[in-house]
Amino acid sequence: MAVYIQSAAQISIQSPLCDDWFTNPILREGRYFRCEEPDFKQFVDPMSARRMGRLLKRALASAKSALVGYDAPLDAIVTGTGLGCIETTEKFLLAMLKEGEQALPPSHFMQSTHNTIGSLVAQHLKCHGYNNTFTHRGASFDCALQDALMQFDLGNISSALVCANDEMTELYFQLFDQIGYWKREEVKAEMFHNAQTEGSFAGEVSATFLLGKEKTNNTLCRLDGQVLMYEPGEARVREAIDQLLKQGGIGWSDIDAVVCGYNAAKSNDEVYGRMVNSLFPDVAQIYYKHLFGESFAASAMGYYVAAVCLKRGEIPAHLLFKGQPVTPKHILVYNHFQNKDHSVALLSC
Amino acid sequence: MSELIENLKNEVIEALNLEGMSAAEIDENAPLFNGGDPTAPGLGLDSIDALELIVLMERNYGIKLKNASEGKDIFKSIATMAEYISKNRTK
Repeated sequence: MAVYIQSAAQISIQSPLCDDWFTNPILREGRYFRCEEPDFKQFVDPMSARRMGRLLKRALASAKSALVGYDAPLDAIVTGTGLGCIETTEKFLLAMLKEGEQALPPSHFMQSTHNTIGSLVAQHLKCHGYNNTFTHRGASFDCALQDALMQFDLGNISSALVCANDEMTELYFQLFDQIGYWKREEVKAEMFHNAQTEGSFAGEVSATFLLGKEKTNNTLCRLDGQVLMYEPGEARVREAIDQLLKQGGIGWSDIDAVVCGYNAAKSNDEVYGRMVNSLFPDVAQIYYKHLFGESFAASAMGYYVAAVCLKRGEIPAHLLFKGQPVTPKHILVYNHFQNKDHSVALLSC
Repeated sequence: MSELIENLKNEVIEALNLEGMSAAEIDENAPLFNGGDPTAPGLGLDSIDALELIVLMERNYGIKLKNASEGKDIFKSIATMAEYISKNRTK
């Protein structure tokens, strides 16, 4: 069953809660960037916000922004987060160390679970419906989206917020750095083409998508389907795309662009290069992690970028990894995490 | 006592993350809790804040509250907290 992306909102290392990145992207050069944050007082009063960590405030702000103008019931909130409220978790663990496991701050303890995010959003939106959280590292959002689509298919829900939320603390950045997750040198835009070294640069993402069954004037695009795969070969990916094209009622030649999660890391990018160049040798490729950085929630921005391109009917030059600008009608979003968890989705206008 | 009250105000601001509030803005005799009535005077703290205050007293002053029913009187205001701390502190 196709569903519609009615709206989307993002807080990331680009300007928050807007699509300035489409026309005026902030091009970063470095290894580690934290979110550009909006004024949270617009979304939650300071007394309520004082116990919330930054990720919770971002999640709430992006969820409320995605719901602007929406006044129908909300049936579900599904969240994807790799690390959960890791900043608060760190505070709690450090307090345990400092205080000898005595006199621990309860607020930090309460927020040290991954599903705090979805439950807090539900509380503030007064949504008593389906609420689930998926924590599968870089495939967390993809799994959350798959769950929402299954709930639509089962007829359990008619609307859903699907969210991706991850933050990157200095401590976690350093831990990832030790296992070569980040580039040793500052990442520059040109490194995304023909990556020769491992590692990417760190960003943060809080993104929310409002899904519904009916198309409206504000709908961004249609989501024809999504397939998740584990360690697939090219044949399995081809089969998944066949399935999606069938669901969308189109053929291979109708695909106008493929969104890929190129992140400037050699082994990561080789997978996209090999797979997509083989499956779609003459189709434009869109990249997005040069704008939003790498994080466990980053794959959500691939969907976000595709949805906005479809709504606006154009692909700006700064998003084109390969090929010529086209007026897109059908875009495939292809993500993988460490060449294990793969996902492919078809979005159409 | 006035020094303890001043310190306590700052510790409460930090522990409860009362952003934008200064010690001078807290009346030591005003109620800390207002029973959920936003129009009532005081800081308007809630039950989770009460837990934070219990932790604060243990961590900073070595006081372990053993009788929960005492809490209502101890946490009436900053002044009552300071009085209890001055009599029972172990550090």
